[in-house]
Amino acid sequence: MISFTSFPTQPEDAYRTVRRYNDDEDDAMMDLDDENGPSSSKLTCPGETLTSSHDYMRGHGTYVDNDEVIASVTGTIERVNRLVTVRPVNSRYNPEIGDLVVGRIAEVQPRRWKVDANSRQDAILMLSSVNLPGGVQRRKLESDELQMRTFFEEGDLLVAEVQAFFADGAMSLHTRSLKYGKLRNGQLVIVPPVLVRRLKSHFLTLPCNVDIILALNGYIWVSKHIKQIEQEGELGFDAEAVYSNQNDRIDSSTRSAIARVANIIQILASHFIPLTDTLLLEAYEWTMEQDSDVKTLLQEDYGDALVAAVVSKE
Amino acid sequence: MGSRIEILNEAGFRSDGRRQHELRDLNIDLSRHGEADGSALISHGLTQVLVSVHGPREAKMRSHTFHDRANINVEVTVASFSTGERRKRLRGDKRILEFAATIKATFEPVIRTSLYPRSQIDIYIQVLQQDGGTLQTCINGTTLALINAGIPMTDFVCAISGGVHSTSPMLDLTTLEENDIPHVTVAVMPKAKKVVLVTMETRLHVDRFEEILNLARDAGSILHREMKEAVLNRSISLVSTAGPAQLREKGEDDMNVDY
Amino acid sequence: MASSHISKAESSYIQAGLTSKDPQRLDGRNLGDYRAVALETGVAPLANGSAKLNIGRNPHNGSGGTEVVAATKLEVETLEEGAVDKGRVVCTVTCSPAAYPHLSPNAVEDLQYDLTTVINQTLAHPSLHPGNLRIIPGRKSWLLNVDLVVLADAGNIYDALFMAARAALWDTKVPRTRFVQFKARKGGVDNVGKGGDGMDVHQDVTSGFDTRGAHSAADFELPDYWDEGEVLDGRDRWPICITLNLVPPNHFLDATTSEESAVPLKLLLVFSFASIEVPTIQAMRFIGTGETSSPELRQLIKEGQRYAADTFKALQSKLKAEDVRRNQKTRELFASR
Repeated sequence: MISFTSFPTQPEDAYRTVRRYNDDEDDAMMDLDDENGPSSSKLTCPGETLTSSHDYMRGHGTYVDNDEVIASVTGTIERVNRLVTVRPVNSRYNPEIGDLVVGRIAEVQPRRWKVDANSRQDAILMLSSVNLPGGVQRRKLESDELQMRTFFEEGDLLVAEVQAFFADGAMSLHTRSLKYGKLRNGQLVIVPPVLVRRLKSHFLTLPCNVDIILALNGYIWVSKHIKQIEQEGELGFDAEAVYSNQNDRIDSSTRSAIARVANIIQILASHFIPLTDTLLLEAYEWTMEQDSDVKTLLQEDYGDALVAAVVSKE
Repeated sequence: MGSRIEILNEAGFRSDGRRQHELRDLNIDLSRHGEADGSALISHGLTQVLVSVHGPREAKMRSHTFHDRANINVEVTVASFSTGERRKRLRGDKRILEFAATIKATFEPVIRTSLYPRSQIDIYIQVLQQDGGTLQTCINGTTLALINAGIPMTDFVCAISGGVHSTSPMLDLTTLEENDIPHVTVAVMPKAKKVVLVTMETRLHVDRFEEILNLARDAGSILHREMKEAVLNRSISLVSTAGPAQLREKGEDDMNVDY
Repeated sequence: MASSHISKAESSYIQAGLTSKDPQRLDGRNLGDYRAVALETGVAPLANGSAKLNIGRNPHNGSGGTEVVAATKLEVETLEEGAVDKGRVVCTVTCSPAAYPHLSPNAVEDLQYDLTTVINQTLAHPSLHPGNLRIIPGRKSWLLNVDLVVLADAGNIYDALFMAARAALWDTKVPRTRFVQFKARKGGVDNVGKGGDGMDVHQDVTSGFDTRGAHSAADFELPDYWDEGEVLDGRDRWPICITLNLVPPNHFLDATTSEESAVPLKLLLVFSFASIEVPTIQAMRFIGTGETSSPELRQLIKEGQRYAADTFKALQSKLKAEDVRRNQKTRELFASR
């Protein structure tokens, strides 16, 4: 089945005005500068003076020139005591130690993997930062180096934690926990990283038998729910299962639940709505109440209705 | 080669009905495009350009990285149907390479590359239609796309073309005018009040040059206002749905994340 | 195209969904469903015909999707002795590097070469050749350039390219030309107009060819008409491409990038609907690794034809709707002046 639509004549969030210019201009500048120092929740953009550098310290998204703190990105001005920062509206993932990320192996190198994690450089996963078969305490062997692709190969997805930074700013990951490791039984959804906030837990389970990993780099893994018991206990570490590429048997209803959740995430992300556990659950329940097909979620009006319904509840 | 059309008639109108210092309609669309981190579709009159910015990201070739800053890579593609006469330009075309190098040189000092050592920022420019002022449109589009991608810059870069018909200076030239009169393209940083680029391929009297440069600076600040408004409007629409949580959240950063 | 690898687990997840008894795709579509296709004609004012097409753009913020801009441009070609005098059609595909941010420049170049080959071989074939590209028999004809630019690729690029090309060709207007001829008489020099009536001939419209030695010379002029010209002859014939992605025993349409990475074999079927009852296959091509038995192939062609007929009808009515929309827009523009 195929259906044709038109491009919108006026993209909704775009600025499209047709204006005539005259020789003489009016001086209606937008006034963003607050005389009393930077106020919060205000938008600014590159080149705008925020405050004097005598009274404030510059944070991320700003620079100092001529004793003035000036914004270098478009975003909201924030102030913590004397520190002024501009949080960008949109940017690539900016890692911090302890962050949970989902990444894709880009390259296998001697004793380490390079991992694409939607950041400014590929992340590094050292062979010494992963659990190897045969117990956690086992020494690293030379044979491990030769069979690195049996653990992770190019294209593989994994969930890991940011452990440290190298001198050049690249992040180093580790998967030394049973919660981390290779990802199976599901599909990946990519959203702008700013839409994933730091939450109590980034491992969510929806009652529809679906697990979600809301990684802070905007890579979201939606998969079949795996029972907690299977994961517990250090002794229960089973290398075969951890590094397996085989999916479990996934029944049809789980599969369609996964697709539904993935579509919901796409809709929320396209409306630039930050993802939280409660929001996702509400959205899922709303679509179930509507008794709708998974593919109706692809329609624009349906998506708008969903957003209107869940946002009003907030 | 004389044109049949008067560049500036006695009443002070140009061939498309504009006054000497009048700019063409400016159209900016900042909605997301494809996989790009930031993009902008911009048109000055009939000249239309799509700019996509990818990065900062891992450099495709390790030889292209710097240990202390990001590498900026500019690639320009010109659609063969963009001009009146169809013209197929290949990737290696000298003029296009030079054009890309000009844009790279314009933005290198403005982007705060030192924040991203070993990374690469790719700027892909697709020229869709040309009716004069291609360089200015590419530069303005690149500014917007970079800002849209959240890449730190010290300032906007606003570019405008200008020319002189006998002794009368004019702004924002069409192809017809570019073919007939000496012209320059000037890019300014409106906040810092600095000129970052001046290109001229024709001869121009020194006195006229100064005049046109001053005019271009003024026009740059007008463009700045429009571009800023476009950026802020888009940001407002995004932030409004993202909600106040975005503002509150920063304080919780150092909170331990409990897995 | 596979801009990025996907993992074995993802790949088998996708395949398992497609081959199960109750087939399921990542976004919930049925096997025969396309994503929404957005189409607009007349997007390039300097071209003779143009169209922009996007398969699968996000309806809310316009991101994503496979996006192609197609434009046609006519050039006058002076023919050499003995050349085919019916005009030529040449298609070129260019890929914007932004569409393939993970590929190296050389890989992008290879890709656009491959795409150009498929499109050009199919559309430039004599069986589809429009009849009105001749200007002066034996001397001058139109060269019809079809340029396609890939702005974004989120899967199913071939169907997108063919649909965009079809829309641009549908939109193409060939300028009317009038034939002007000069013949030297025995007694003196006179101008004789052919093609129009004698009154229309102007001595100065022809380019400055040297008439002194020649016995006859011919050129053409472009009379001013209210419209931009006539449509291409036989524009209903321009073909439709259907890409069948094969996951035995099933097949599906309009694969996304990740589905393309998971499914190695696809079959391109290009149908032309000169008459809706008896379509012709203009091209057929396997892409990828794998094989199909010939009875299966026969079945696939039959199915493909059915899909193509649907697509043809939908596209045709969309193109007509676009014509109406643009006429209306023009009228409003004039009314507001």
